[in-house]
Amino acid sequence: MNNHNHGGNYNGYAYSRAKSEPDVDLNYQSMIVTNCIDIPTTSTPEEGHINKKLPKELLLRIFSFLDVVALCRCAQVSKYWNMLALDGSNWQRVDLFNFQVAIEGRIVEHIAHRCGGFLKSLGLCGCKHVTDAALVTSRHLGQYCVRLANLNLESCIEITNQSLISIGTGCPHLIHLNISWCVNITDEGLHSIGQGCKDLAHVLAKGCTNVTDEGIEKLSRGCKNLQLINLRNCRITDVAIEHISTYCRQLKTLCVSGCSQLTDATLVRLGEGCHDLKTLEVAECTHFTDNGFQALARNCHNLERMDLEECNQITDATLAQLAMQCPMLSQISLSHCELITDEGIRHLGSGPCATENLSVLELDNCPLITDASLDHLNACQGLKRIELYDCQLITRAGIRRLKVS
Amino acid sequence: MPSIKLSSSDGEVFSVEVEIAKQSNTIKTMLEDLGMDEEDDEAVPLPNVNAAILKRVIQWCTYHKDDPPPPEDDENKEKRTDDISSWDADFLKVDQGTLFELILAANYLDIKGLLDVTCKTVANMIKGKSPEEIRKTFNIKNDFTQAEEDQVRRENEWCEEK
Repeated sequence: MNNHNHGGNYNGYAYSRAKSEPDVDLNYQSMIVTNCIDIPTTSTPEEGHINKKLPKELLLRIFSFLDVVALCRCAQVSKYWNMLALDGSNWQRVDLFNFQVAIEGRIVEHIAHRCGGFLKSLGLCGCKHVTDAALVTSRHLGQYCVRLANLNLESCIEITNQSLISIGTGCPHLIHLNISWCVNITDEGLHSIGQGCKDLAHVLAKGCTNVTDEGIEKLSRGCKNLQLINLRNCRITDVAIEHISTYCRQLKTLCVSGCSQLTDATLVRLGEGCHDLKTLEVAECTHFTDNGFQALARNCHNLERMDLEECNQITDATLAQLAMQCPMLSQISLSHCELITDEGIRHLGSGPCATENLSVLELDNCPLITDASLDHLNACQGLKRIELYDCQLITRAGIRRLKVS
Repeated sequence: MPSIKLSSSDGEVFSVEVEIAKQSNTIKTMLEDLGMDEEDDEAVPLPNVNAAILKRVIQWCTYHKDDPPPPEDDENKEKRTDDISSWDADFLKVDQGTLFELILAANYLDIKGLLDVTCKTVANMIKGKSPEEIRKTFNIKNDFTQAEEDQVRRENEWCEEK
């Protein structure tokens, strides 16, 4: 219980309502002068009254409602308020996205140094002036931020492996790591994360174009609890996916969109290793064929969301398999899958996923689709969105019929 | 409606519906732990709250008696201060001394809804102000030396728009 004893002195102070005081930009000296003139006015509270009246834990509770800007200003008010404002309890989750241009390494150093023991979540997305110096070699982030669970370094383009080595050494409880577009990062950095961050559940490394299969092997071998991996636009091959499916058996979400070297072997291995897969994004993986998706669907029955945009070799056979094997399917994008016909949609519309789960279907630029497809979707009561951009055989009448049903 | 009596630090006794008083976890626990009977004539002593503040607290609890229980603090959720109802805002148009007393009372009586809304009100008095304006609002003395002040300004100016 929040008991707190205080010497109750309730005897008639009369204060003005601070809120109603006009926000005049006076400097401190002129303030004092004003007060002298106004004596014996009661318009200003007794000096430091808030600090005398409220104990530290209640002042901190008030501070817990302040944002970063207000905290930084409170830190400049007085020595006591500086201590309160920089209390680690206020700095458990810091997101500097809104200040990205102004953020330099020393600010991150300062936060890590003052508040590191409390820091659980640090967002530096887009802070492109932040360099390794701020995070490096277990002196700052690594040394002080042992509780760090959530680190977002997206687009911190100066960051290199040195930072990841520091984090791998010093932040054993990291759960969520985003290093997307940190193009300097290579396999060595991922190796360090794999060795040090055994609890890692989510890793986003979109556009890390210098990461290879070897780095993914080191990462997945070390972080067996990974549930979400995003390697969009990375230059990986089937070998990387083989390691992921060998080590990360709990994987639920995988994005390898834009990894154009991947072949059906990727889908086969995912089917063998990652049976819990719920979300799979493989847009622009143009080598994938019906054979690969057949192998996947045979084993991954929990698939809910699939982005197959521009998997332009697949045919109705893939849809027949998914419709039959994946009853949870709720969102599927088939845009630019130009071989898909009404027959494929008929499978989807009559499969076990149709009546309850299917909610989003994207068919942009599927030139063979006709109104017959829309008729096949009659049973999909949960359908919320269907995209038909540039499906030239679709007519207004067909759309009207779908709306009515 | 069954009611109980609450006795303030300065000896004034208030009769309050049990359901209203139980918004205070402190009173709720007392009633349960002490097995105090609703028929009991004895007043619950509240040595940390004077009559003027207790009266306001009861007024707040009466207005909010049908509110759902406030959510637990979720440390992952950003805390808002712009969600104070207009009734609460009017209720808290008081001088700073009274506002701080209400915070202390809400804390002592463990009334989360009142504690949150009073702390938010103070937070709103801080937000959007410069350090100097904050000092002025609360009459806090600047005890930094010039050199120290320069340094804390340098350390904290990054959050200001350039």
